Amino acid sequence: MPLTPTQLEALRALLDRLIPNDEFPGALAAGTDKFILQLLTHACAAEAPFLAQGLTQLDTEAIARHGQTFATLPITAQDALIFALEHNRTATPWPAAFPAAAFINRLIDLAAEGFYADPANGGNRDGASWRMIGYDPLLPARPSAP
Amino acid sequence: MSAADSTYDVIIVGAGLGGGIAAGVLAESGQRVLLLERGRDLRYRDIPGDHLRHHRLSIYGDNTTHEPAGHPRVFVDPQGHSRTVYPHEADYHNNALTVGGGARIWGMQAWRFHPDDFRMASRYGTPAGSSLADWPIAYADLAPFYERAEHEVGVAGDPSATDYAPRERAFPLPPVPATPTGAWLARGAATLGWNAFTPPLAVNTKPYLGRAACVQCRQCIGFACPTDARNGSHNTLLPRALATGRCTLITRAHVARVLTDASGRAHGVEYFAPTTPDSAQTERRTAHASTIILAGGAIETARLLLLSTSPQHPRGLGNHSDHVGRHLQGHYYPIVSGLLPVGFENPNLGPGVSIATTQFNHGNPGIIGGAMLANDFVKLPIIFWRSHLPPELPRWGLANKKAMRELYLRGIDLRGPVQEIPSPDSRVTLDPHVRDHFGLPVARLSGTTHPETLRTAEFIRARAEDWLRAAGAERVWSSPMDLRLSASQHQAGTARLAADPRDGVTDPFGRVHGHDNLWITDGSLHVTNGGFNPALTIMALAFRAAAKIAATR
Ligand SMILES: Cc1cc2nc3c(=O)[nH]c(=O)nc-3n(C[C@H](O)[C@H](O)[C@H](O)COP(=O)(O)OP(=O)(O)OC[C@H]3O[C@@H](n4cnc5c(N)ncnc54)[C@H](O)[C@@H]3O)c2cc1C
Ligand code: SF4
Repeated sequence: MPLTPTQLEALRALLDRLIPNDEFPGALAAGTDKFILQLLTHACAAEAPFLAQGLTQLDTEAIARHGQTFATLPITAQDALIFALEHNRTATPWPAAFPAAAFINRLIDLAAEGFYADPANGGNRDGASWRMIGYDPLLPARPSAP
Repeated sequence: MSAADSTYDVIIVGAGLGGGIAAGVLAESGQRVLLLERGRDLRYRDIPGDHLRHHRLSIYGDNTTHEPAGHPRVFVDPQGHSRTVYPHEADYHNNALTVGGGARIWGMQAWRFHPDDFRMASRYGTPAGSSLADWPIAYADLAPFYERAEHEVGVAGDPSATDYAPRERAFPLPPVPATPTGAWLARGAATLGWNAFTPPLAVNTKPYLGRAACVQCRQCIGFACPTDARNGSHNTLLPRALATGRCTLITRAHVARVLTDASGRAHGVEYFAPTTPDSAQTERRTAHASTIILAGGAIETARLLLLSTSPQHPRGLGNHSDHVGRHLQGHYYPIVSGLLPVGFENPNLGPGVSIATTQFNHGNPGIIGGAMLANDFVKLPIIFWRSHLPPELPRWGLANKKAMRELYLRGIDLRGPVQEIPSPDSRVTLDPHVRDHFGLPVARLSGTTHPETLRTAEFIRARAEDWLRAAGAERVWSSPMDLRLSASQHQAGTARLAADPRDGVTDPFGRVHGHDNLWITDGSLHVTNGGFNPALTIMALAFRAAAKIAATR
């Protein structure tokens, strides 16, 4: 497991704001958290420690501003914090090698990659996002190509 | 000679697009052909439909490369910093490492070059610092071979699609169907008074040459085709070669050097291949033939020429006048996005490219050359998210999610392959430090295109914006382009054709100057790369060279 339980909680709370539920499933309902965990243990294993550190820093930042972890903040405060990080406006020192904006932008990308990619990648369960936007690959049930 | 050594009439390095064409023509003419391909012969099920790992979007890998760690390159940025890169990275400038080469998963646009694409220097002059030159052959020399490629590989086209280039025979297949976005663009072109027609695609719009028709799926470019309707040499000329019984295809066979004798004659190749077909262990082998053809693609063919030094050729084969690896080019691609006022009711079906104009290929005031412009393939959702949402939109949250569902079916975009003004400093050399899986120095890519390319690209970008606006797009946007190295999928130019050995690497047929039995049949030969996708020209040159070899043997 590349993340501690606390980091995982922060990740899930963050994903829930990056692609929220509305009348269509959001990132968590579509399994995007599992897609990211899978990447962090395989293709992006080298990046995992940085993202883990960023998730811890996200909580540090939330505590410095509001006295509670990111996951327990009201959603308006969560959104305001994400917006601030996107613009590198921080209340705590972030690692120079991995500034707040780089961290949040990477997670925004990862969330969208999982949510909008093919269901086999694990973050777009039952093609939820594809149904929402009107995309279907229309592949034949039985490919005739050798 | 060891047991693994063997002798053939012809050895071809690379079973990609050009190599496959040469194999078919030569095996059918009675030659015993050895075809060596470093990739595998992938079936449909071997090429995953992974939206994050394919040949249009390869964030975490691609869907054809095996053992990517074994095939690094070195990329040098314009500031001079170099770093090791792997096949899925943009700076690797990949095509595809598999039997079929790039055409295994290509977009199938099958354009003839414009007659003036062969005489760019005569028409425009050569800008200082560039290596813009005329081809040593004219459109008329290639026309019969364009025709062979269209008929023997299979191209679907609109009869007016090559009005700019005279043709004798109609396309063998009817054009791809119109799309809803194409209808908007057709109205826009009519308003502007521009020509517009269905572009030629190498796709079976109906069953052809024993294979099925396209079923218009929506996962096309960068993937394998579920009905094998995507035409290349891997499903036409290569099977024809194998059917003769005279062509031996060895996959996972990586050619390390071309062997030459003191007189400069090529007599064989040294290659690495698995000890048994499925083994991870490789062994070094040699094979001999009286004709050797290189078709590894523009970057790898240049690398192989540079690796094949001998006491007589200390700078590599064909490198007598220092042209090998230089003039590396591809196409600058301005991409312009927009939003239609309403979503089209029926989403576009695949392949999706359905309308093009050649209005700006030449004759643009104050500009060298130009480009064809066309609409694009059906967009994967993740590609739309990354590259086609309006730039001012938040990248996350409900606003972003709502935009995805409201705008996905309103998106429209145009792009065009800008004819590049080549630079001798945009080049492939051998890296002094980094080695591949076999211990061979890897390709080092450095330099940039000539600044004139940027001027043409910016001109074309503005015309694409005009077209989208005239088509009724509400909002139109694009980004300016910067000076960089360009090669990637349309890589070309590194062993240019030249009548005079001082001006290039091969003679006007593709035979390496100074080595009368060493030939090239891939994108390396292109002196310039046209304002069109290059593959039909690669095929035409391969047909022409192979016919010449067959006739002289
Ligand atoms: C996603 C995508 C879309 C494209 N769409 C279009 C399009 O719409 N229209 C168009 O015109 N073009 C398109 N192209 C480009 C087109 O595929 C290439 O121009 C074409 O394949 C180049 O042909 P080639 O023979 O020069 O090289 P390739 O087709 O790249 O073949 C080279 C082969 O040689 C092998 N090889 C290299 N070195 C060695 C070695 N040392 N030993 C053994 N084998 C070796 C490689 O593995 C490869 O199989 C597209 C490419 C891609 C990737
Ligand atoms: S759109 Fe047609 S040619 Fe393209 S992959 Fe689908 S079936 Fe094949």
